[in-house]
Amino acid sequence: MVELDHSFSTGKDEAYNWEAILDLDRIVPCVEGGRVVERTSPEAAKAEIKVRMGAMSLTFNGTVEVVERDDTAHRAVLRIKSKEKSGQGHANADVTFDLDDGGGKIHTAAQISGKAASMGEGVMVTVLDALITDFTQRLAGI
Amino acid sequence: MPTLGPGDGTLTVRTQRTGAAAKAGHDLVIEVTSWQATLELGDSPSVTLTADPRSLKVREATGGVKSLGDDDIANIEQTIDDEVLKGAPIEFRSISVAVDGERVSVRGELQLGARSRQISFDLLLVGGRLAGSAVVKQTDWGIKPYSALFGTLKVADEVRVSIDADTGGQADG
Repeated sequence: MVELDHSFSTGKDEAYNWEAILDLDRIVPCVEGGRVVERTSPEAAKAEIKVRMGAMSLTFNGTVEVVERDDTAHRAVLRIKSKEKSGQGHANADVTFDLDDGGGKIHTAAQISGKAASMGEGVMVTVLDALITDFTQRLAGI
Repeated sequence: MPTLGPGDGTLTVRTQRTGAAAKAGHDLVIEVTSWQATLELGDSPSVTLTADPRSLKVREATGGVKSLGDDDIANIEQTIDDEVLKGAPIEFRSISVAVDGERVSVRGELQLGARSRQISFDLLLVGGRLAGSAVVKQTDWGIKPYSALFGTLKVADEVRVSIDADTGGQADG
């Protein structure tokens, strides 16, 4: 299990951010290479993420779902379950958003196996950290 | 003036990966499949080379978390065209050529894209076979080295360009 903490800033008020992070059609594309394939409910979707690893790319297919939400504290947990396309690997994560005015904090607890994990945990953590940092920067424009 | 091309030998570019996630990438040997060079070693020695920037083909890939498939290789070649060389001209013209036995020391002007600057390298001419290489630092020519995985995987700034060709005795001057 890899656990990482990040913060983000949107410059927008908390109510706006709360609505935005719960809208999977807006939040999923903030992950580079991420897209919603199909909305299966207001709080769940089938999604895909394609990660370019230089010459090659790894594609993960799976689901993203809002599994916890506290509309008062503006805290939500998005659960990602995915499987490597044409491979045996998995990438699963619980991403906890804890909002405040103008932005918020993100806690990520991820489990990754397969080719991505074969880079070694240190490398995987570095890449995951860079991916989430990129995600937080994209959130600024949400 | 004697002219060399792909029928006489190979012109290759070797790239190496760097960055925190270097393990995820591949070191590449890329062949330039369309090029033309001249080598004159007479009273006024000179070396020229022109290469088609859209003729680069991946021949070897080592490292990475999985081996490259045909699609991956096609993607690399497309990336070279679209994001790295962008089809811009590649041309070298010598300014000075010094011949010392089998060693040919060359200094000249290399144009890569919009930028032109000097570069020096040595060639060996042994028994009609010409071989040598030059290190090209991409950023010196305004080329941003390719990077992926949010900047954690990069192609090293310096790439090695090598020639190995049979002059068939043409360059004996």
